[in-house]
Amino acid sequence: MAEINQPIPYLEAVNLTKRYEDGLLALDHVSFSVFPGQIYAMLGANGAGKTTTINLFLNLIEPSEGEARINGTVTHRDPLVAKSQVAFVSENVMLYGGFTAVQNLEFFARLGGKRHYTRGDLRDILLRVGLPSEAHDKRVRGYSKGMRQKCGIAIAILKDTPAILLDEPTSGLDPKAGWEFTQLLGSLRQEGKAVLMSTHDIFRAKEVADVVAIMNQGRLIMERSAAQVAQLDLQQLYMDHMAGRAELSATEV
Amino acid sequence: MLKTIIEKEVRELISSSRFAIAMSVCAVLIILSFVSGAQEYHAAQRQYEAAKAENLRQVSGVTDWLMVRHNRIFLPPDPVAAVVTGVSNDIGRTVEVSGRGELSAEDTRFEGEPLFAVFRFLDLEFVFGFVLSLLAILLGYDAVCGEKERGTLRLVFSNAVPRATFVFGKLLGALAGLIPVLVIPLLLGCLVLVVMRIPMAAVDWVRLAFVIATGLLFVVVVVAVAVMVSAVTHRSSHAFLALLVIWVFAVFVVPRTAVLLAGRAVDVPSVDKLAAEKAAYSRQLWQQSREQLASFTPTKTDDVGQMMKEFQQTMEKQSDERDKNMQELSGRLNESRANGQRIQAGWAFALARLSPLASFTLAATALAATDLKMKDRFEDEAYAYQTDYARFMKAKTGMVPGAGMIIMKMKHGGEEEPKPVDPRELPEMQHRKPPLAGAVTAALPNVGLLMIWGLGAFAGAFIAFLRYDLR
Repeated sequence: MAEINQPIPYLEAVNLTKRYEDGLLALDHVSFSVFPGQIYAMLGANGAGKTTTINLFLNLIEPSEGEARINGTVTHRDPLVAKSQVAFVSENVMLYGGFTAVQNLEFFARLGGKRHYTRGDLRDILLRVGLPSEAHDKRVRGYSKGMRQKCGIAIAILKDTPAILLDEPTSGLDPKAGWEFTQLLGSLRQEGKAVLMSTHDIFRAKEVADVVAIMNQGRLIMERSAAQVAQLDLQQLYMDHMAGRAELSATEV
Repeated sequence: MLKTIIEKEVRELISSSRFAIAMSVCAVLIILSFVSGAQEYHAAQRQYEAAKAENLRQVSGVTDWLMVRHNRIFLPPDPVAAVVTGVSNDIGRTVEVSGRGELSAEDTRFEGEPLFAVFRFLDLEFVFGFVLSLLAILLGYDAVCGEKERGTLRLVFSNAVPRATFVFGKLLGALAGLIPVLVIPLLLGCLVLVVMRIPMAAVDWVRLAFVIATGLLFVVVVVAVAVMVSAVTHRSSHAFLALLVIWVFAVFVVPRTAVLLAGRAVDVPSVDKLAAEKAAYSRQLWQQSREQLASFTPTKTDDVGQMMKEFQQTMEKQSDERDKNMQELSGRLNESRANGQRIQAGWAFALARLSPLASFTLAATALAATDLKMKDRFEDEAYAYQTDYARFMKAKTGMVPGAGMIIMKMKHGGEEEPKPVDPRELPEMQHRKPPLAGAVTAALPNVGLLMIWGLGAFAGAFIAFLRYDLR
């Protein structure tokens, strides 16, 4: 009965492995789960495998072994169903420069099968992510990175999916925008979304995540709950892992 | 989903400055091609009327049909040929008909106005083949790889978008943006023909519509190739370079190389060689005639009139024989040359069709009746006219001219002053355009090839995009 009551993870990696044609092992048997209302932060240096993990969830690449599942659907077996249940915000949100923010949102809403939004709804979402109304009808070409990130987050919100993938979403955001983003993540958690976030930002990870994981050279080498993380000097631990000083066994994961 | 992508493509395309610039250039060139075509038609019509009038004027000064030595026929200008010139300016437009013997068309448009031969005319074939194809490349080269470069591809494919839908949407979106913008100046161009009073018959409009449809099909092919290349490459600069190379090969290298290779592969005797053979045979026949004439003996030597009549009959008999023999040889040589040319053209066209431009050119010129067969058709009409003319002259003079005869007219005192002949009695050349059904049939294989090119390029784009790295 206990197993039956166990909530189904919205995002799940099972022995997820990616070896490229040139032999590079980008991801090495990574397993984790992100449950509804949970924010899962993946920390790691460049090349650690964070973006590869997200690309596998988005089926932009196919796994060499293992599976990525979104709400129980294996992404590489049924990518369209899987992707209809996940939203994505990249490190550097790139939009159609000739379109306004509203037009971009309109397009991506329709692409995500959400045709019911009015322009007023779209403006409300843009306001919610902190994009001032005077910017809504300006071409995105002239936007700062922060403004584009906000649009990207708005696109993820309007898709209204159970799971959200964030690939270093706060990269390049100013402190105010970063704070607003943290608040937004909190509200997404309240709505029961499962959020997988890759980040370099140790402090934000500690601040918002329910689970913090550290990745290195394609392997998930540490996974801690928020309560455990609160007891740790996460920065020191992270630096130790990066420098190879920490001796953690696979069982810690 | 497909509709969403198409709408986005159209909106993105028409809001871009490069689209506005490219389409402005297209619109100006398309309308200009119609205007210049209409002007050329009027100029050619004036020239045609003047040449016909001059021919009649020369005949009108003559008092005996036997004295009519130079009767010329002219290829009338064609309204559709004004906008799709094809070979119409390269073939002779005048044939001198003497009543017998070989005919050859002379006096090409470029002979009279060599300046136009330097850069040729700005016609629809040029606009579609050279300008629109290049601008279609300019608009389609970054359809897929540009999205990857700009980073939007990853965001798009974070949604449940099938790859086939995306690439199909790209192609249809580009066409939905491009074609209406091209159709407007094309319709304005048609209006120009009406305003400039070009006498387009219903069948001419149908021909023009077919030419335009074929041109638009060619643009579709170029867009499909551009999307395919953009789905193979990952950088827009690479895609543009690759497409530029393809364009140069398709427009310049393949058609010209095809003609060159066919010319080398199939040996066709030159016109000069044929002319030399004919001249040698003609000399031989004349020599025989002279020998026979030397032994001419009239039945009566006291009746000059009877003597002249017998002499003329002998001369005409010899002319007929020479003509028959020359026709046999010419027919044989010409047929051999025509067969060689047909095989050569067959090879050249088959090889040239590796380029969609060649298929478009062949289809457009066939529809406009300005293809290679235009020359044959005019010559056939000239020979048909020569038969009518010979019959007319025989009725008027009792003999067929053109045998190099010396006509002696004896005038007796007391006879009335002869009246000048009425040149309006001369038979008219019957110029008929090839039937539309025949033109469409001739164009169909090339239109079919263009369709295959389009479908092939789209299939290529689809297959390439199935393996495209979306990251």
